Amino acid sequence: MGPVGRADGWTKVQGRAVYAADVRLPGMLYGAVVRSPHPHARILRVRSEAARAVPGVWAILTGADVRYGTYGRRVRDMPVLAREVVRFAGERVAAVAAESLPAARQAAALVEVDYEPLPAVLNPQEALQPGAPRVHEVAWQYPGAVVGPDDPSNLQSRGVWQHGEDVEEALARCAYVFDETYEIPPAHQGYLEPHACVAWAKPEGVVEVWASNKSPHRLRAQLAACLGVPAERIRVMPVYVGGDFGGKGSPMDVPVAVALSVATGRPLKLVVEYEEDLTAANPRHGSTVRIRLGVDGEGRMRALDVRAWVNGGAYAAFKPVEHVNLNGFAEAGNTYRIPAVRIESLIAYTHTVPRGHMRSPGSLEANFAVESTVDVAARALGLDPLEFRLRNVLRAGDRGTLGEPWVEMRGEEVLRALAGALEEGEGAAGTRREEEAGWARGVGVALYCRAAHAGETEVALQPRPDGSVVAWVPFPDQGGGQHTVVRNVVCKELGLLPAAVEVQQVDTDELAADSGVGGSRVTLTASAAASRACQQLRRRLEEEGLRGLGVQEAVAELARRRPAERVRGRLSVEEELWLNSVCAQAARVRVDRETGQVRVEELVTVLDVAEILHPPSHRAQVEGGVVMGLGSALLEEVVVEGGRVVSSNLHEYRLPSVADVPTLRLILVPGGKGWGPYGVKPVGEMTNVAVAAAVANAVADAVGIRVRRLPISAEEVYRLLRAQEARP
Amino acid sequence: MSGASVELWVNGDRVRARVSGGEFLAEFLREGLGLVGTKVGCGVGVCGLCTVWMDGRLVSSCLVPAVVAAGRQVWTVEGLVALAEGRVADPPPGLPPGRLVRVVQRAFVECEGLQCGICTPGQLWAACALLQEEPDPPEERLGEFLAGNLCRCTGYQGILRAVRAASREGRLAGG
Repeated sequence: MGPVGRADGWTKVQGRAVYAADVRLPGMLYGAVVRSPHPHARILRVRSEAARAVPGVWAILTGADVRYGTYGRRVRDMPVLAREVVRFAGERVAAVAAESLPAARQAAALVEVDYEPLPAVLNPQEALQPGAPRVHEVAWQYPGAVVGPDDPSNLQSRGVWQHGEDVEEALARCAYVFDETYEIPPAHQGYLEPHACVAWAKPEGVVEVWASNKSPHRLRAQLAACLGVPAERIRVMPVYVGGDFGGKGSPMDVPVAVALSVATGRPLKLVVEYEEDLTAANPRHGSTVRIRLGVDGEGRMRALDVRAWVNGGAYAAFKPVEHVNLNGFAEAGNTYRIPAVRIESLIAYTHTVPRGHMRSPGSLEANFAVESTVDVAARALGLDPLEFRLRNVLRAGDRGTLGEPWVEMRGEEVLRALAGALEEGEGAAGTRREEEAGWARGVGVALYCRAAHAGETEVALQPRPDGSVVAWVPFPDQGGGQHTVVRNVVCKELGLLPAAVEVQQVDTDELAADSGVGGSRVTLTASAAASRACQQLRRRLEEEGLRGLGVQEAVAELARRRPAERVRGRLSVEEELWLNSVCAQAARVRVDRETGQVRVEELVTVLDVAEILHPPSHRAQVEGGVVMGLGSALLEEVVVEGGRVVSSNLHEYRLPSVADVPTLRLILVPGGKGWGPYGVKPVGEMTNVAVAAAVANAVADAVGIRVRRLPISAEEVYRLLRAQEARP
Repeated sequence: MSGASVELWVNGDRVRARVSGGEFLAEFLREGLGLVGTKVGCGVGVCGLCTVWMDGRLVSSCLVPAVVAAGRQVWTVEGLVALAEGRVADPPPGLPPGRLVRVVQRAFVECEGLQCGICTPGQLWAACALLQEEPDPPEERLGEFLAGNLCRCTGYQGILRAVRAASREGRLAGG
């Protein structure tokens, strides 16, 4: 027998994993959505006669037909269908239910909407100016809003994090101040499964939902708030999720699917086309980040000021966190000893596609800006960039840059491991800086640190008469491997073989609570809850006097005696863990001086780890993250022109293919302090972050230009190279 | 809506149906026949999720009008699994042998050749077709052959490990 694979492995290689779009119910209708072509316009009239005449059409709804409230993950500002005005190109204006998908799409294309275009504001700097066109009349009145009547009318949220001395005074005392501005464009999460859902408003008043959503219990609560019904009337059913990366945590099109199901009395499937997902879902915010880094005469960082202007798009509905900002900005500079830090992130409403979370939200933005600036500083001071980082990195036992009482801080260890790896690699390659036929080589490094959190969940175990155990979990496996983590914990705790443990996602009626997948919480939370459930099961075996038997016999006997027996392990962690993980990355690149083409030859990743519950899935998270980081570095941008997303599909929004992937080298630094019964650290949002800065720093090393805008395209590098030549 | 009557063979079974001019094979397989193992991603032939076997070669079923499939042999992941499980009495020539499919499936499970799984049916087809054509492919051939099947989760490393492992095992077993 070979190594034991993922718990969901066989289901998936047999084509039997059911995703939301795969659900088929008797009498099911198909939905399609009519979207606004204008960034900002008044809806004058919707004419649907021609659409209604399409054979098989059951219903056509506009904003006026829908009585539900607005929805959102925290701020409830998004209408199910636009009412009176549209606020971004791609906003839902009408929706169709029909007997077939072609009929639904044909009818949607025949719905005629008259608009009166209105002035639009497209970027955050303009949106926050006095007198800018308002995106919402009174944004601060939406439920969950974190702004007030005195704030600029287009402000979504202001995040401020500061610690230590006054930053302006500290900067004034510095021998050197590096003032740099970086731009990080919007990007799509790139999950390959477009948003899909099936809604069935049953006659008895219960709504059943199958959705490409990673947090079923939260979805239920968000839907209940939108529909104005108790949560018990909504049942979110289990399905696999075809990739998430932060983008699958909102109700998205579920409320409109429910409205269509209610209007027709039939179950209804609504699957958006990938083009709709790219242009009208919830891509990463675009940000402009200004960094002022103060360094003293000894090459020590003394002050850091970070200002970010962030494009929030037309609705704040897709941000789940309490402050409705991006936690990643709070990480700016968090790997260094800096006695004065101030960070401000202003997120503004604009008339563009609403923005959401993408794997480590805000982190890539902050990291690209800070780690590029750190490199600029090192080079200006004539210091080796890695040496400069080592001089300033937080030491074991230090408090964090914002005063965090970290359990540990392994930045120095991780950086030294990276230095060692680069020396080794250099011996092997031996060609650094060797110019060949116009190509220049360079190496760049970057450092990242992320705080870890836990959430709430419940795992239930049911013994079966054959001596196996079913583990019920409330969260899907969106690819992260959390079902496998639960299986492995149950195996470990009870002494069962993997084949004797089956993990099943169950619907929201079956288990009490769950914070879902996200924020890299699920491995911590699920492993602890599974461990508790196992303790309960062991206790029950003891109470029944079955401990003397072999474990499978005991489980089988318990199942026979108590067929309905089910034990539960529940967990809710609200306190800060002060746990973190550190990752250092290096890129080796070649740059063609003539064309600006950048080729990444190797990416080295050094990661601080604790206990690993399923090494293959851990490794996959690391590798998948690195390649996603490479996509952000070199390829990916959701291009917005005149307020409209023009990256229409995956031929224009290029994701890395296998042919784009360079040699990946991974070095795990074991021995970290983790959390929970197994002492684990999260991994899902670690290795995608610092790749962009590492590649930009490598380009600087190779040809002496500083790329301040992602992605690092040949066009941008070419432009900078020509500008460099033109300088006297 | 006008429609055309078509007859084709899907996973060895004869299928007769009316399809509309605008209907593509992927949608016909999924919604018309309920064969939802074939996934749809981009819908424009870039991502490879909807890969199926048609008359001896792999196609993006999102790009094939259903009427074009008339008279042809189409095999989906459900059929591929049936081959692996030895449930196909007399497979048409050119399909990957069941033994190879089993080896590939197991390698994908054991080598973490999948995560969310949405691209997996297409990846399985690509891996089987490659190893069928070239049991011991050189590294650069892997990149070329598999570049038409995107995966956002794995960074492709698990998939490459799976294909290499399947290649080794396939050759060992094949003698």
